[in-house]
Amino acid sequence: MTHARARSTAPGAQFLDPRVLARIDNLELLARTVVNGFLNGLHRAPHLGLSMDFAEHRAYVPGDDVRHLDWKLFARSDRHFVKQYEAETNANVVALLDVSASMGFGSDPHVTKLDYARFLTACILHFSRGQRDRVGLVTFDEGIVDFVPPSARNLELALHTLARVQASEPGALRPSLLDATERLARRGIVLVVSDFYEEPDEVLEALRLLRGRGHDVIVFHLLDPAERELPGGESTTFEDMESGEVVPVVPNRLRSAYREMVENHVETLLERCTAERMDHVLLDTSQPLDHALFKYLTIRERKARSR
Amino acid sequence: MPFSLLIPAALAGLAAIAIPIVVHLRRRPRSKAVPFPSTMFLERSPIKSEQRRRIHYWALLSVRALAIMLVVVAFARPFLTDDSILASGVGGPTERVVLLDRSWSMAAEDRWPEAVRAVEGAFAEAGPLDRVSLVVFDQGAEAVVRSAPDAARIRAALDTLEPGALATRYGPGLKLAQTILEDSDLATYEVVVVSDFQRNGWSGDEGVTFPEGTRVRTASVAPRPLDNHALAGVSLSRERLGDRERVTPAARIVRSGGEEPVEVMVTLELDGRQVQSLPVTLPPTGATGVVFEPVTVAQRHTQLTVGIPGDALAPDDVYHLVLSPGRATAVHIAAAAARGTSGDLYLRRALEISEEQGFQIFGRGSGIPDESALQERQVVILNDRPFPGGVEGERLRQWVQEGGGLVLVAGDRGRWGEDFSGIFPGALGPVLDREGARGERLAGLDFDHPVFAPFRDPRQGDFASARFFRARSYQVEEGDSVQVLARFDDGSVALAERRVGHGRVLVWSSTLDAFWTDLALKPVYLPFVHGLVQYASGRNPTVEGFTAGQVLDVADADAMESAGLGEVAEALTASEERVALTPEGGSRDLAAGRSFLALDQAGFFQIRPPGQDEVRPVAVAVNVDRREAELDPMDPEELVAAVGGAVGPGGGGTAVQTAEALRLRREDQERRQSLWRYLLLGALGLLVLETMLSNRLGRKGRKRGRHARATS
Repeated sequence: MTHARARSTAPGAQFLDPRVLARIDNLELLARTVVNGFLNGLHRAPHLGLSMDFAEHRAYVPGDDVRHLDWKLFARSDRHFVKQYEAETNANVVALLDVSASMGFGSDPHVTKLDYARFLTACILHFSRGQRDRVGLVTFDEGIVDFVPPSARNLELALHTLARVQASEPGALRPSLLDATERLARRGIVLVVSDFYEEPDEVLEALRLLRGRGHDVIVFHLLDPAERELPGGESTTFEDMESGEVVPVVPNRLRSAYREMVENHVETLLERCTAERMDHVLLDTSQPLDHALFKYLTIRERKARSR
Repeated sequence: MPFSLLIPAALAGLAAIAIPIVVHLRRRPRSKAVPFPSTMFLERSPIKSEQRRRIHYWALLSVRALAIMLVVVAFARPFLTDDSILASGVGGPTERVVLLDRSWSMAAEDRWPEAVRAVEGAFAEAGPLDRVSLVVFDQGAEAVVRSAPDAARIRAALDTLEPGALATRYGPGLKLAQTILEDSDLATYEVVVVSDFQRNGWSGDEGVTFPEGTRVRTASVAPRPLDNHALAGVSLSRERLGDRERVTPAARIVRSGGEEPVEVMVTLELDGRQVQSLPVTLPPTGATGVVFEPVTVAQRHTQLTVGIPGDALAPDDVYHLVLSPGRATAVHIAAAAARGTSGDLYLRRALEISEEQGFQIFGRGSGIPDESALQERQVVILNDRPFPGGVEGERLRQWVQEGGGLVLVAGDRGRWGEDFSGIFPGALGPVLDREGARGERLAGLDFDHPVFAPFRDPRQGDFASARFFRARSYQVEEGDSVQVLARFDDGSVALAERRVGHGRVLVWSSTLDAFWTDLALKPVYLPFVHGLVQYASGRNPTVEGFTAGQVLDVADADAMESAGLGEVAEALTASEERVALTPEGGSRDLAAGRSFLALDQAGFFQIRPPGQDEVRPVAVAVNVDRREAELDPMDPEELVAAVGGAVGPGGGGTAVQTAEALRLRREDQERRQSLWRYLLLGALGLLVLETMLSNRLGRKGRKRGRHARATS
């Protein structure tokens, strides 16, 4: 309940609330709505464009990056304007979406991890396409399920593929990413969206394949709140959604130890990804989607500056 | 009282308590598996295995364990031991026989309900392992329930019993009880006699001895004497007027008890219709008689009932008879011509005097009836006359062989030719004069013979007072068809009989007048002559009323004739389909092979072919045995002592206190208490509680699980 209240009180969050987004069947509409709404909410933010093509001047407001001041115009008009550029890159942005059975979990039946990942991926691809990036999509579980090669025209196909993915099979990160790495010959930005229920060494070994090809890897680590807290009371029998194994436990007694193990797992992944120069973003499916988008844009901006 | 167990080994079943404990430790409450993305972190936890070994539902476990314990203890058959019972001399289960008197005297006042209560009380004491028998007795005995393991059947049977119409005889009931006890394999025996203990039913030695150690208890239901009025008997005096016969009934009424004279009305009913009523005063403990006006008996099987108002003992307040117009026995008397009729005086007068069916006398002088007349005679008396020879003698012999009765009174002239010696018993010799005025007397009488049977009982006829001064010597060799019925005190033969074909020949060696003997002057003369002639005729005396307890063979022509049913006997005996209607409205099949009709109810039995409703049914009157009306009680202890039983509740118990008897006693105690039933009920209650508790805990657990998932 506390999560629900937090979501509803976040300013401008109603459009980005995953529970609200889940009511929108059309994924393209959803992505456009989210991205536009998100960008409108950032109307004074300096993160509009990352390309070098001039778009227009806008009056300077405090907080704008002074590097974007048009000094020549200031000299002529004695007023401060900042230049706005059209986002125009030719980077490949490919989302690798884990559609293994574990992604079908959701403590809120309306928003599973896969739903959340689908919204997130759709938004990022839509946003990237707006930046003139070539967008592609790879879904995988034990292997690659769908492969939409990065292209400037494949947004619709990617969104259509996203709309029909289902989480049903057990997952295996390394063979899937190895296959994807071989298919993605051109370097680009690779988003890996998964719950990463594998040992950190195995996860890093798989991600390292992408990184080794020169991709900028952004890891979106999706977790449901229940996965972090462990539901249940005195006695609960849990069934592994991928292996089918049944484990009877007493959650009340196990919860603190479980929570610690999950935190350690996340921390380990964060540290190892950072060490491998990969961005690790932990996403809670109960959080509004703008948090994830903001993270993404921040990372893109940082990468653009550093380029 | 401490607890004890009949089957202690069953306590091994307490090990089953481990089952719910193991189940609680090994099995978690069944809950639907919750899908979870991955169990990789859960499998690492050491806590889950420890948790599984914990017991979470102590209350549930306790209820289950307690239920199992109760079931196990129930199977161990616990009981509260009563050491005083176990230490007593009483053995194991008891074979208990209750003898219930159902003679008609038990119908007096509230004797029967009291007797039933006494019987129920006797069976209420029966333990679960006891076996009980109920024997009802009157003149006979019948085991209503024999060695039954429970008294329920007896209680059901008691409802169907009621006093009968027969008299009390203790012998049959005691004998049947003895048989039941002797057949029993139980350790102890008990006989309970419930009766009004009439002395009439006790002969003093019934030849019954119960097995050793049998405890005999008595329950008398005759606490106080009754003021009973009883019709002791009804006699009929017949008088023939032309073709009609008039009968004068006379009733004798006896009153036992009472303090003041009372007046009662005596009624006479013919065929169910009251025709006369006479008041009569009954003195206290006395008797009186009443004579009704003569009634004409025009039809056969007229049902006559004499009654007085019902009192506490109703069965003896009515008397039933069946009347039919009498059939006189046709007797031809042929006397010596020289004696004239003077020698026949006593004989003729005796035969003329008859209150019942009577005799029709023919013959004057010494003539023998011709053939046609002879066929209408039942008896021919040759009084001091020789047996005719030639054609007449042959005709007489033929007639005798066909069923006629010949009485030869020897006198001076009685003799027969050699040709006919085959039909006479023995050979007559010369006249013997008895010395002195004392004369000879009749000594050896065959009281089993119908001629002398009426004189069997004391004060029923004194033949010893008659003196015989002269008689013919008479040599008789007894054989299959020859029988000496009476002898003088010197051993010579006075009366002998020979069966010839279907007829009878009797030879009297003296005379039946007052010349050679003064028998004709004695009171026994008349009944003797009547009996002699009646026997010679082959006709049995008609019985107007039977006594309850007798049996009538409807297939026996003689018996039917005695019952006054001679004219229908042939039709009834020839029919293979007969049915008898009892006085109480029932019917009895008397088809071939079942011809014996037990006259066990008072009133009128009607016999008829089935499905036919005759205008005047053939009826047989049955009355209760009047001796049963004598209610003088006997001392029950006399009966107890005679059968060898111990008296009272403290008696008996000589059975050896064997281990087997103790075991049976323990088992008996356990079955009496049946604590296992309560334990099983308790276990059942606990299982219900367990179900409720389990459901509640299950709901609670599921609710908590949902709540946990929701909050997480």
